[in-house]
Amino acid sequence: MIRGGKSYVSAPPAFSADAKRLLVCTGTAVSIFSTSTGLQISSLEGHNGLVTSVIVVPGNKALSFCWTASVDGTIRYWDFAVPELMKTIDIKMPIFSMVIPSIMGQPGKGTREDDSNAAHVFAYLSVENTQVQQNTPKPLRGWIRKCNLTESRLAGGALSETRKPEAITISPSGKFFGIRNKRKLHIWRVPAIDSKLMIAKKITLHHTRNFNILAFHPTQAIVAAGDTSGRILIWTGFGKRTFSDGDKLMKGRSMNNEEERDGVRGDDDADASSTWHWHAAGISVLSFSSDGAYLYSGGMEGVLVVWQLDTGKKKFLPRIGSPLLYLTDSPDPSLSSISCADNQIHILKMPSMEIVKSISGIKLPYSCPEIYDGICSKFAFDHTDGLVALRTVNYRIQFYSLFDDREMSEVQICERNHQPGDEVRVIVTLVSLSEDGSMMSTVEVKLPEEGLGSLVCLKFWASGPQNKNFSLSTVVYEPHRDARISSLAFHPTRQMVASSSYGGDFKIWVCSDEIQQKHEALQHSGWMCHAIGSYKNKPMTAAAFSGDGSVLAVAAENVITLWDPDNNALVAVIGEMQMPIATLSFAGKSEYLVSVTKGSKPQLSVWSMSELSESWSYKLHVEAVTCAVDSSSFAVLSLLGKDGVILLFNATDPVPLAMWSVRKAQEGGLAFLNSDQLSNQQNILDRNRPQALLVYINGDHEYVIFDPYNIEAKELSLTRPGSRVAPDETGQFGYSSIYGELPKFDIKRDQTVAPSAPSQRPWETIFSGSSHELPPLTKLCSDFMESLLERRTAMVE
Amino acid sequence: MASSNIRDLLTAFSPSLDLFAISSGDGRIKIWDTVKGQVQTEFTDIVASEDTSIYAKRERGHLSVDYTCMKWFSSERKKRKRGSSFLVLGTGGGDVLALDVAAGHLKWRVNDCHAGGVSSISFARNASCLYTAGADGMICQIDSLTGNLSGKFKASTKAISSMSVSSNGNILATAAAQMKIFNLSDHKKIQKFSGHPGAVRCMIFTEDGKYILSSAVGERYIAVWSIDGGKKQSASVVLKMEHPAVFVDSRCIDSGEVGDVGLYVLAISEVGMCYFWFGQNIEELRSAKPTKISLSSEDILSTTYKGALPTIFAAVIQGIAKAASGQVFLAYGSPVKPSFQKILVHSGTDIKLSSSHDGVLLPMSQSLVKSKKGQNVQNRVIALDRANAEEALHPMPKIFDSHEKKKRHDKLSFDQDEEMADLDDSRGHAGLVKSKDDMVELEADTAAICMEDRLRALGILSKVDDRTFHSTLNSATFKSIDLQTNMPHKKMREAVLSLEPSDACKLLGVLVAMWQTRSSSGNNVLPWIYSILVNHSHDIMSQKSETQMLSSLLKVTKSRGAAIQPLLQLSGRLQLVMAQIDKATHAKTQISSHKHELDESEDDDEDVNEIHFGEENDDSDISSDDDQ
Repeated sequence: MIRGGKSYVSAPPAFSADAKRLLVCTGTAVSIFSTSTGLQISSLEGHNGLVTSVIVVPGNKALSFCWTASVDGTIRYWDFAVPELMKTIDIKMPIFSMVIPSIMGQPGKGTREDDSNAAHVFAYLSVENTQVQQNTPKPLRGWIRKCNLTESRLAGGALSETRKPEAITISPSGKFFGIRNKRKLHIWRVPAIDSKLMIAKKITLHHTRNFNILAFHPTQAIVAAGDTSGRILIWTGFGKRTFSDGDKLMKGRSMNNEEERDGVRGDDDADASSTWHWHAAGISVLSFSSDGAYLYSGGMEGVLVVWQLDTGKKKFLPRIGSPLLYLTDSPDPSLSSISCADNQIHILKMPSMEIVKSISGIKLPYSCPEIYDGICSKFAFDHTDGLVALRTVNYRIQFYSLFDDREMSEVQICERNHQPGDEVRVIVTLVSLSEDGSMMSTVEVKLPEEGLGSLVCLKFWASGPQNKNFSLSTVVYEPHRDARISSLAFHPTRQMVASSSYGGDFKIWVCSDEIQQKHEALQHSGWMCHAIGSYKNKPMTAAAFSGDGSVLAVAAENVITLWDPDNNALVAVIGEMQMPIATLSFAGKSEYLVSVTKGSKPQLSVWSMSELSESWSYKLHVEAVTCAVDSSSFAVLSLLGKDGVILLFNATDPVPLAMWSVRKAQEGGLAFLNSDQLSNQQNILDRNRPQALLVYINGDHEYVIFDPYNIEAKELSLTRPGSRVAPDETGQFGYSSIYGELPKFDIKRDQTVAPSAPSQRPWETIFSGSSHELPPLTKLCSDFMESLLERRTAMVE
Repeated sequence: MASSNIRDLLTAFSPSLDLFAISSGDGRIKIWDTVKGQVQTEFTDIVASEDTSIYAKRERGHLSVDYTCMKWFSSERKKRKRGSSFLVLGTGGGDVLALDVAAGHLKWRVNDCHAGGVSSISFARNASCLYTAGADGMICQIDSLTGNLSGKFKASTKAISSMSVSSNGNILATAAAQMKIFNLSDHKKIQKFSGHPGAVRCMIFTEDGKYILSSAVGERYIAVWSIDGGKKQSASVVLKMEHPAVFVDSRCIDSGEVGDVGLYVLAISEVGMCYFWFGQNIEELRSAKPTKISLSSEDILSTTYKGALPTIFAAVIQGIAKAASGQVFLAYGSPVKPSFQKILVHSGTDIKLSSSHDGVLLPMSQSLVKSKKGQNVQNRVIALDRANAEEALHPMPKIFDSHEKKKRHDKLSFDQDEEMADLDDSRGHAGLVKSKDDMVELEADTAAICMEDRLRALGILSKVDDRTFHSTLNSATFKSIDLQTNMPHKKMREAVLSLEPSDACKLLGVLVAMWQTRSSSGNNVLPWIYSILVNHSHDIMSQKSETQMLSSLLKVTKSRGAAIQPLLQLSGRLQLVMAQIDKATHAKTQISSHKHELDESEDDDEDVNEIHFGEENDDSDISSDDDQ
């Protein structure tokens, strides 16, 4: 089993004490990268939930300890050089942010081996209070708690309650920490370690807009905060009244200087406040330089701005290309990192702000603008090379190597101004790859402005044998007049593409290499229209070629039309669905066609081509379907609420061969991959080689590759390639190690429900599919449950 | 810098083949990402940077180091989580360095291991230690984790030019003047071969440890030595090449499965050509002809750059796809900008690769579309506007028909369909029309509008729109004629007699057309035709224009009459079958529906298509009947 596609930017990364390594939160693990090469060295695995904070214990460069916190409610202590888990603290509440003030601000002290025995280490956690009922009108679910890490217990009550858990920001000196809460900033002073006071003192600063982020000056009492409108507010001398230890009466002085407190709102405890405004949109990055002379800010624009604190002069690092998320300083003043929204971490050489290395992961999903209502193809897979082609937010197609967990290349589909904050006007809606991966076709839609200027553009691309450097071969403007294209299908062996449109026709395009050299004018290769077809002017919603390419199936709204693609002749029409067909797919080289309808009456149907009739069907909400190339099996990703189930079928048999429960299935994808790649990298003997591999990508673009036919052996034979990453030995086995235990299926419940009673719950409706070829319902149900139970026991062990 | 031969290059693939290290002898090591085809890192002076802190000035230049050998060490042991893969380098000064590529720093270093320079590095597959050989004739054993020297023995009095350890780590081969095999556990000599006269450039064990492959400077062959402990001192097999070899790799499969057994040998010659041999055993290997992988010659002829000729400079056998063919991973092009490709080599078919000029002295071709115009010029992008379909070969869809004789069926079924649509007949059972040969499947309601036009244009469809029939029927003259109901004969006769002779002729024409096109059931139309013919016979006969119609009517009647007998037989059979089914299912509703169907098929007495429909219904499942 290969896992990958993790987001590198879900939480701020952390530098190791010698600044040679960067600890990045990647899903349930922490990956350690080298800052000099940008390659992954090792990873810390053990958390069961998303890791939300990683804090490196500063001090001696030879030591490498870190604390991590996760939404699984545990805090763990690691030696990341080995890497080895040292300690686990379970606080039983999801942790969204953690700061440890006592280890900050003491880099000069070296090892604290002696001290740490005496002094307790305290952490401040931002946790979600799961006990608060969701249905109360204004649930305050976010808590700030204090935790004694040495004694592994929570200390004191909640310092603050907010609507949802907020990220805690700590000052570099370790004296203050704060959170933002809508239009307010709450700042606490950390009590001294030997202080008797358990509860920290708190002040609040107000503003007229919602805050996004705050940052503390390393040495002085200055706090900066960025709001949603792009303003930066800087308060100097905050908390003099409240945080003074009481023996010095500052109150009188500050009362006298009431007039001098320019910009400070109301009774806020600060000397002065100033506002800087350069950013046009909300600020997401705010950080002081380690010497306190500069302030870094960044946001949607993808520009890092450096403010000279005394003068307010600005310097820029433009064209980063994506909204910035975090800026992390390292102990080495010449290195820092910025995390971008496109899942890249750039390592900056600091005074010059030069990008030295980039760690780039899979591109994260992005949301289409609301104005576009059509469907988008989520992924295209190159089965032979094990690649996935993803659409990115900046009109590119990213080719991501699934086996290597690495980006391979990017192709710019259409031009775009380098301004991430701009409103999206063009959407790359469809991408499709040919079977051998050497050709690609894309569809982009230019959205109309006030109803004018809509343009659909179909592009054909060709690449060399390696590296997927695609170059544009043909561009077709308005391929189906004004109508949008619903799907693209490549011929399995020839250079032929079928595009179907909602305008009621489909077109078959061929590369002119295919055409006999009648047209001598066409010297170079290009694509041209070969045939046009339509059926009763119905919208064509899906298209697919059969395994040998002799039949083209096009869905005309709710019937399936079968065509001879060469002669453009209608061969047959089958089916009558209640809803428009969304996806068609031939089950390998077998005679079965799989159709998927969505909407209010979702259905998965399997059609026999020899009998031209439906052989079986399920009422399932299917998100994705994939067919093995050379066998008759296919897999579907079915949605059950937010999560889903992968079902593996043989086309001849309605009883699924296997099933897996997965998370975040919405917008997910599924594909069979060729296992050649894997065996080469793994030196697996041929007889052990899996027949085919199934890859599942969830809505967050995390993926897992596994052998669908051999559940027991998969953990043994498939370790992650790339021996620079040591194979890990997780305690859990197989699928459960990534997605947790399979949800329990209650047999009793399923049995008590009368089969005839219509039910809205999807698990029961599986068995009320319309197919007449199903065995009797009672028999099918018990068979199905039996197969399920066997599998579960196998996996638990 | 880049010379045309690749003797001076040091190359190494990482075990997972995602990284490729290359050093061209100037002390710099470039790490290429083979997935992306880009430089991942460059190490210039790792020796200096390790000694001092990152803030200090670097003192020694990279040219002060000359690397003599490079290997990518990998240990497959699972216990060790770290340090399982790193690059090991030997220098001319006798030092051995280990470079952790992922972390980007020197892992360990053994100073002055071999006086006079390190000549070779080798390690066993699962070992935790590696062996080095040098010009001093010594073999050093180095712990791979710490870099400590754990053992040392003298293997030769002369300088060792090459050394290799078998994959199981039991035996070691050295090539000095003679080739010697040592047992690694007790450092005893096992066997001695005559060896090569010159310095051996490359030497490896086969995977099973039974043979040694070696090639020396200036020799145009690879010698295969058999390790069996015998006294034979000469090479058992010699694999001939056109140029001296610089690199050898082998893979042997002895999994026991039939057809998989074999020995695969891969070598790269000095001029950058890759040779691939395959033999099921050593005897077959002896007579095997090499398969050559080379770069296509047109690139070499190109005058645009005169620097390094593109060559294949590194290759490794990735795996064996099937018998006599292997997956080979190649690095080729120029050493400045290598390209990486995985190819499938079948024994016996030579392969020519084309190399790209990227990154040599030519500007990189922009992969991004910066300006559409420029792209058009460069790559000649074809742009089509919305009139893209004008040149389409098949602008209009057609119906699939395999035999010419089926044409009539097509026509008939289409006409029927149209009429059904016009009549708004909700029977909707037109369904599938299956013809005898089971290949031609026609759906009756397939006629899209464009297709109708086409059929009309071809004359397949009659030009006379059936609307005219209805208009005539609906006209005042024919008010009394109701085709939909069964009228008694007398009434029919009255109505017919009341018609004017010319009107009767017109009506006859309409009725005959209706019958032929089957817009109305023959059951209803035929009595009318009969009645007109009886009552207006002389009028019709007198009109010359009607004779043609009459003759066609006769033809149709005859042809349909011929089919009555078999139809009746079929009807009987069907009734029998249905009775049996009904008996079995006791479903009353189905009886009625089937009866209705049977009646229909009898009524449309000569409708061939209907017969098939009936047949199909009979064969298909019961559940489908419910739909009707």
